[in-house]
Amino acid sequence: MKVSLNTIKQFTQVNLPVDELVKKINQQLGGVEDVIDLRKRYEGAVIAQVVKCEKHPNADKLSVCEIDDGSGQLTQVVCGAPNVREGLTVVWLKPGATVPATFNDPEPFVLEPKELRGVVSNGMLASAKELALGDDHSGIVELTDTDLLPGKTLSIGFSFAETFGLDDTIIDIENKMFTHRPDLFGQLGVAREIAGIGHTAFTSPDWYKNLPDFAIGEGLELHVENKASDVVPRFMAVAIKDVEVKPSPLWLQCALVAMGSKPINNIVDVTNYIMLLTAQPTHAYDYDKLRGHFLGTRMAQAGEELPLLNGKTYKLDESDIIIVDGEGPVGLAGIMGGGNSEVSSDTKNIVLEVANFDMYAVRKSSMRHGLFTDALTRFNKGQSPLQNPNVINLLMMSIHDVAGGAQASKMFDETASQHAAQQVTASDEFINARLGLALQSQEINSLLQNVEFTISPADGERTFTAPFWRTDIVDPEDIVEEVGRLYGFDKLPRELPKRSTKPAPKNASQVRKQRIRETLAKAGANEVLTYSFVHENTMKKVGQDVEHAFKLSNALSPDLQYYRTSLMSSLLDKVPMNFRAGHDAFALYEIGKTHFKGEMDEAEPDVPNEDTHVALVLTSGNKNATGSAYYQARKYLEQLTSLDDIHLQPLSEFDVSTDEWGAQLTSAYAPQRSAVLVKDGQIWGVIGEFSEAVKAAFKLPQATAGFEVHINVLNARSNTYKPLSRFPSIWQDISLKIAQNVAYKDLFETTKKAALAAADGAEVDIAPVSIYQAENDTESKTISFRITLTHHERTLTEAHAAAVMDSIAVSANNELSAGVV
Amino acid sequence: MSSSDDIARVRETLLSRYEGLETKADILKSPELKELLAGIRNVEPSQRSAYGQAVNALQQELKEKVLSNMHEKSALPPIDVTAPFDINGEMPSLLPSENGTTHPLTQEIATLSDIFYRMGYVVEESREIDDQYHMFEALNFPKGHPARDDYDTFMTVEKDADGEPFVAPAHTSTMQNRILKKYRENLEKGEAIAAIVPDRVFRNEDLDARHEHTFYQVEGVYVAKGVHAGMLIATLQQFLQEYYGKELDVRVNPFYFPFTEPSFEFALSCPFCGGKDDSCKVCSGEGWVELLGCGMIHPNVLKAADIDPNEYTGFAFGCGIDRLVMMKYQIEDVRHFESAKLDFLRQFE
Repeated sequence: MKVSLNTIKQFTQVNLPVDELVKKINQQLGGVEDVIDLRKRYEGAVIAQVVKCEKHPNADKLSVCEIDDGSGQLTQVVCGAPNVREGLTVVWLKPGATVPATFNDPEPFVLEPKELRGVVSNGMLASAKELALGDDHSGIVELTDTDLLPGKTLSIGFSFAETFGLDDTIIDIENKMFTHRPDLFGQLGVAREIAGIGHTAFTSPDWYKNLPDFAIGEGLELHVENKASDVVPRFMAVAIKDVEVKPSPLWLQCALVAMGSKPINNIVDVTNYIMLLTAQPTHAYDYDKLRGHFLGTRMAQAGEELPLLNGKTYKLDESDIIIVDGEGPVGLAGIMGGGNSEVSSDTKNIVLEVANFDMYAVRKSSMRHGLFTDALTRFNKGQSPLQNPNVINLLMMSIHDVAGGAQASKMFDETASQHAAQQVTASDEFINARLGLALQSQEINSLLQNVEFTISPADGERTFTAPFWRTDIVDPEDIVEEVGRLYGFDKLPRELPKRSTKPAPKNASQVRKQRIRETLAKAGANEVLTYSFVHENTMKKVGQDVEHAFKLSNALSPDLQYYRTSLMSSLLDKVPMNFRAGHDAFALYEIGKTHFKGEMDEAEPDVPNEDTHVALVLTSGNKNATGSAYYQARKYLEQLTSLDDIHLQPLSEFDVSTDEWGAQLTSAYAPQRSAVLVKDGQIWGVIGEFSEAVKAAFKLPQATAGFEVHINVLNARSNTYKPLSRFPSIWQDISLKIAQNVAYKDLFETTKKAALAAADGAEVDIAPVSIYQAENDTESKTISFRITLTHHERTLTEAHAAAVMDSIAVSANNELSAGVV
Repeated sequence: MSSSDDIARVRETLLSRYEGLETKADILKSPELKELLAGIRNVEPSQRSAYGQAVNALQQELKEKVLSNMHEKSALPPIDVTAPFDINGEMPSLLPSENGTTHPLTQEIATLSDIFYRMGYVVEESREIDDQYHMFEALNFPKGHPARDDYDTFMTVEKDADGEPFVAPAHTSTMQNRILKKYRENLEKGEAIAAIVPDRVFRNEDLDARHEHTFYQVEGVYVAKGVHAGMLIATLQQFLQEYYGKELDVRVNPFYFPFTEPSFEFALSCPFCGGKDDSCKVCSGEGWVELLGCGMIHPNVLKAADIDPNEYTGFAFGCGIDRLVMMKYQIEDVRHFESAKLDFLRQFE
């Protein structure tokens, strides 16, 4: 929102220097994005008169002028404009001045005395384009008294900027701040707030505050009907005859440019100017282009088409509010007028419209058509329908001032319902309690009355009536905000809440995750965070089915189209890059959420289920240093959880056809070299090496493995203490030769059971020592365990150990045909 | 003979020959296949495209067979997944402990969670996919409200029970309604609702050095009897002073959020230069760092959680975590966080 300080000053006194005003606006109104001093842009632009004008001796199209700049001496300027002539009052850009249109260029054009075809030109006479007032470059600007605001005079030698109000400061305030403040999209509203935060009373001008009496004009037939009254609370229109369409007086053009708008013609300029002033969008139609002398509203029909002022044609549907004439659409309500009813230089009669549209309906249309305009920005904040009569009255008067004409119909006012100003009840206690203040009734009232609230009675529980333009005052909290802001939030007492000494409980999930992080970091792994969304191809590369993934409808790129169903694909994606960067052995891990389409949250069935996984991928490059990568991944997994009650079932024995979730989780892994984690008959994760296809697709080094596990299955290792024995432990190794296809775990369990059976009260600890296979015998393997025995009541003997070893040998032989080596 | 029969016949021949081949890749060199490929250009133009596609599909099928056979052959032999290490292998070792790191963002989440925990706040987690009720409606953004436009929100193709797309939450405030309900009973016991939610959020924004579509935010909620806006400012000031380990000034400017009233933009005096250094990379010498949005919880938000706004009041705030970390270490590019580059990660022990 560009705020013109000169315009503000028409409504209220501003005594602060600009920098202090900006600071105050920042603190009490909204964030200032930019402050532009227009004076600098027009430095060196002076009002001058052409005293003498002769043809250039060496150039057909140039004239040599002597101009009076008020200094008492004439100055020679060469001018190429066809309209330059003696007696003209012009804008002279003197040597040293920057051409205003180039002011913001990387290399602004600074004028200096310069010879043009042998004749020296001191500066230049400016066109509208050079003055950054429009695109017109066909001739120089001709100044007349009609270009001035009342009270100003054209004085030769005087500053152009000061004469035309361009000695202005533009304060650009973030629009976002005003999302709930329809009134602050007009200069008048901002002026009121500037008075309010300065603790000064503001009075709106009569034309805005007092309901006008409308004359009953005649001369043009006009019919008006509001058929979309559900979403058009108010629709006012009036016909004006015999206007003269021409460029606006220069002061108006300058005012529009200062506020970031663009002059078009006097009719359109006035409608825009009044919108910038009041925040109420207005529109003018060419009366003679409205078929059937009709103007109205209705909902569009599906398939209807509407060419708009921007030259594009839009396909409408039933949710668009449209403005229609007797035969069809002539405007997209609240957004843009139609090209077919546009005011042009031939226009003689016009219809003025000042309407109110439902903010949600126009926003929806604008979003669907991708069409954002100044009018929409204002309508979608919820303008007050109570300002329409005042605004259309001002519009009529202003049109008369700049384009002549006379009212030629009655004032149509299609009001759907009674509108009333908002009222809220609150007390001093309510307000003070929420601000931590102790303001007196009188102080509160005064802050609000400054911005034209009415309050009754004067104290106690009372009714605050918002001025009609404030549609945002709904709850008593809105009054709290107003009081706090106008008083100054910087003056609120800063005190901490009183709290009980009860400890806040820790979040178990956060504790668990933090423990995983610390454990894996201690084990030399690096935590990564990767995107929650993946490319369809990434899923396909690990063999996943995208049908199981939630899909974004407005993804930034295909790279981020699907919610991932597992973390591993993201991690695999990051391996080659790090490998290439010179890291030859590393482990990456991530704790993150996964989603599986169709699975809803158990506790909250309206939203999808979210599983938290920990995934780790490790690589030691292309060489298997100490054995298969699987076992290293397993070592990492064992840092996180004991595998005592988790069964590692070979992936090759796991039936994926009946478990879609399991299939999705395990698709990347090589079945013969991976396992699923099973607990209580349910799969909780997967660990293993990746299939050759996956390794090729991601360009993974050979010795790469990983795991992905639901974090709920990880049994936090907690400290448990076993009393120390006073007696020494004894240990002995046993090597058992078994068939190659016997699982290590089976032998281990058999060994453990047999050892315990013969332990005779001793504690047994069994640790693997080696797994050996002779090169020439791949049918069998020899597994060696170290059996350690500890007794709490006596010293163990060799005989005791021998009994345990015998028991192991017998059981292993009976159950698994193992032989002691 | 029609062309599609032609292709089918060749396919039969080649598939049966494939089984017998020693070098499977030779199937791609078969003269029959070459003949089919060469024949495409002789087919009538009206049928050429369909015919060409069919021939290419056959070629593709054969290629995939060869490739998967190659993968099968290069596949390593089965291993005993129940064993602790490999046959003739050693007990695998872990990587050197000094190489291990946690992520700078999760480190920071732990740090700030700890400060709030000491201040009496519980820590809650957010969601990565949610419904629009929690993201918007429960927070006083009615359907179609223009304030929704300020949150460039990712939406899913899939719809919720109301027929609205699910969303990737653009703020961790998506948990606010749940937290208010979960801890509502605190209020009856005369205790406060005090919670923070540090977690991942998403905005539909193009990536550059300063913008990420995926980032982290900490939401804070505090509700009790007699809570006022000055307490919000004091609480955030205390938190930031503890976080930076020094005295800091703070400032609030009015702002607009639908879920707070009044709403503020909150800034702190530059913790790095105190406004004394014109070349300061964090505050550019302005002396203030705009850090977060906050405000008094809107009565409609309390009501949506069955809390009486006349009896209880509260505040909420939301602060970007990535920005805190970037300022702390002067990280120049936000994209490093999700890059998984070890050269980046290993600088944060």
